[in-house]
Amino acid sequence: MADTAFRELDRVRRFIYSCRTCGVCRYKITEKVPYVCPVKKASPGFENFSSRGKIMLAQALLEGALEPSAGLARAAYSCTLCGNCMTQCGATDQDTGKPLVDNTAVVEALRADLLRESPGLVDEAYHRVLANTRQYGNPWGMPRSARGKWAKGLKLKDAQKEHAEVLLFTGCTMALNPQLSQRARKAAAVLKQAGVDFAVLGNAEPCCGSVQKRTGAFELARDMMNSNIKQFNSLGCAVIVTLCAGCCNMLKTEYAKTDEKLAPKVYHLVEYLSRLVKDKKIAFTKEQHMTVAYHDPCHLGRHLGIFNPPRDILRALPGITLVERVATREHTICCGAGGGMRLFDGGALAVDMGREALQAARAAGAQAIVSACPFCETNLETAAQGFDAPFPVYDIIDLIYDAAELNG
Amino acid sequence: MTASLTGDCVIELTNIVGERYITDDPVTRFTYTRDASLFGGTQAALIVRPGSTDEVSRIAALCNRHHVPIVTRGGGATIYGQPKGDPERTVLLDMTRMDRVIEVNTAGMTVTAEAGIIMGKLVHACKKEGCYIYAPFAPVHIVSLGGWMSGAAGAASLWPDIVSITVVLADGTIVQTGGGPGTNVHQPIFYNRNLGGPDFAGIFIGDGGSFGIKTEATIRITTYPTKLKAGIFAFDEIEPALELVRLHVERRPVQRFDPVLVFGAGAMKNFMGDSDEIAPFTVQAMIQGHDEAEVEARLAIINSLADQCGGKHNFMLDAMAEAMGTPTGEESEMDWMAIFNSFGIPAWLPFTFPRQGFAEVYKKLIVWRNERLNEAEKLGLHLRTTWEFFTSTDPSTIIGEIDSFFADVDKPEAIAFARTLMADFQKYAHSLGSIDVYNQGFMADLNASCWSPGFRRLFEAVKGAVDPNGILNPGLWTGSYLNEKEGSNG
Repeated sequence: MADTAFRELDRVRRFIYSCRTCGVCRYKITEKVPYVCPVKKASPGFENFSSRGKIMLAQALLEGALEPSAGLARAAYSCTLCGNCMTQCGATDQDTGKPLVDNTAVVEALRADLLRESPGLVDEAYHRVLANTRQYGNPWGMPRSARGKWAKGLKLKDAQKEHAEVLLFTGCTMALNPQLSQRARKAAAVLKQAGVDFAVLGNAEPCCGSVQKRTGAFELARDMMNSNIKQFNSLGCAVIVTLCAGCCNMLKTEYAKTDEKLAPKVYHLVEYLSRLVKDKKIAFTKEQHMTVAYHDPCHLGRHLGIFNPPRDILRALPGITLVERVATREHTICCGAGGGMRLFDGGALAVDMGREALQAARAAGAQAIVSACPFCETNLETAAQGFDAPFPVYDIIDLIYDAAELNG
Repeated sequence: MTASLTGDCVIELTNIVGERYITDDPVTRFTYTRDASLFGGTQAALIVRPGSTDEVSRIAALCNRHHVPIVTRGGGATIYGQPKGDPERTVLLDMTRMDRVIEVNTAGMTVTAEAGIIMGKLVHACKKEGCYIYAPFAPVHIVSLGGWMSGAAGAASLWPDIVSITVVLADGTIVQTGGGPGTNVHQPIFYNRNLGGPDFAGIFIGDGGSFGIKTEATIRITTYPTKLKAGIFAFDEIEPALELVRLHVERRPVQRFDPVLVFGAGAMKNFMGDSDEIAPFTVQAMIQGHDEAEVEARLAIINSLADQCGGKHNFMLDAMAEAMGTPTGEESEMDWMAIFNSFGIPAWLPFTFPRQGFAEVYKKLIVWRNERLNEAEKLGLHLRTTWEFFTSTDPSTIIGEIDSFFADVDKPEAIAFARTLMADFQKYAHSLGSIDVYNQGFMADLNASCWSPGFRRLFEAVKGAVDPNGILNPGLWTGSYLNEKEGSNG
């Protein structure tokens, strides 16, 4: 195989060879870390399911000790990209002060090289997501005309026709999943009540490219980013507010690496609303007597460091008691939806991981779990269906909307 | 032993552990050919993750009948590598599925756990019950209990605390050493190691897994010392620093709660940067106890001893000592692995010497190492840092290391140099009287190379009795690493 076959791995070779394969990412347990890797826990637990194992495989590919294979692709795609291995490793690069090994970057690079050079080895489910993107502009294969339906009747500003300070970016999952799109309506109602000048893109809203990047389709994601940056910058808005943690991380982190920069500032809804709540721009009139645990989406928490805003909001809601699970904030264990795990082996491992997340919430005394990411919520909902007792899963906007007694 | 792994054997193994926990997938197998060391893991035909002592017993009996070699792996955290194995025949047991804490007995002050448990989990389980397991000087987040007992002489200082070990012999026989249920003395509670016959626990400690497969152990615990104080003193010469160590260990043979650690200047640079205050030797006395009065009293003693030896204080050292004794509300355990991993490619250079005469030996070791580091520089390799450290585990012994770390993480020649440096250092240290604590891979070979004929005969007699077909960790102690030029990891 030509040297260029592993060009993405070569780009992250410093991470790959900085890893000492000690196994902290496989085994660490402390008072705040019940375990590190949710995939290792849900799977049979062999080394290839651990972060250390994947680093070993990446090294082997670069050294020519292994050839691409279906087994290697399975190892590459059995990862939530949650980054807890990186956090728990704790080693820092002596030159840059950044994490010594960015395990998520290595796994993404591994996927990218396999997908580009050996696409036949990669499970059909991932190809379907990419084909959907090319055909429909979203990973879920929904028609473009369905994207703006959630806003029907709300009389929201069209960002392409009217200037607004804020662009409300719903994201594919929230916009196109009928079970979730109510939450987009609720978000719009809350922003309206707070007097925010915002607009939406309706059917013209693009996919941010996060799913494609995580799947390893780097070139597709790059093209999407470049196109989206032009579109967003042409709108003249100062701020983009996202409803999805994955979109938020993509827009904040990956878009910052492109040549043409994204002009608007990007916030997740919880960041944006927490300031409005603090400034008393939203009135909470209804008490909801409930004890909840907040699940930090990996994209929002560990990857962007946004831990306090959602908690500040929850504490401000009348009647809501917030409890923390053993593993919380930067130690949060992924719900199982990250990194495309709902596509891996039909999603069985993802659901097992979701069940662990719910059990941890119940063990902390919560009656429900709240998050701020449609991926997390979808997986947790699925896991809750197989739970031994009802355990509600909320997006934080559900609780805000109810507390504000809005109609949208 | 020439038999291969037949299809029938694989089916039987699958029936024992279930399909979920056995694989011959080449990618999975590859990940076991490496470990944390620069020397390499194991080539295996099958990877099996057993879930109980009974399963291990049935696996051993089956493999013994078919003369199939078994290599046992815990955390994969060696520094000298693992038995090399045979990709056609070896069954590798990944023991880390057996990671349950069976009982923390706060009345009898013991903890019983499966041997695949990682020490960090065991430490945490004990701590939750207000108990303390003595687990010094090793990275608790990556080593397994079984690996620690097997791969280190004295089980890395756990030796006196081990009450009982459950071991599966090569023919599948399950043995529990010590006095307790299922052992030679039918007591309902594990409480004593030496009752009812010879101390057979000892032969399984530091055996490298050659005599049996450890599946459970009972370890003595104490109540958790919640108070910590430290005293840190600077010395210009090694002799007075060692004198402080001597005065300390002669008073207290097993220094469970108050080790006195000596750091060299290279190690201290990693804490203090390029400060002018760094002394050639910095002695750190860690005092742990259960109340303020106790730790203050013991700290006063160590301060007095340090004064006698001419130990000096300075502002930075006192500040460090103060910080170490200040509870933060967070977990206080320092994550040594994160620190060492940040340094780059490690050339671990550990040693164990008699305390008597150590000052002269240490100087020779440093001269030897520095000559090799000069050689590395000439080869264009970049030394990131060094780490000199030693302490006394008992009145007679000094253990320590003079590690070196290279920044060239993706240079194969740096990895090769570090590996050669490690091997050469151990040969040199052996020539000065060091027998290192690690009974793994390369080091087990080197240690075996200096056995007397009588010792070798005893070893072979025991091995022949408990593993007549030689199926357990074959290759260990036999020179397989000593006889090769290069390791295989990286």
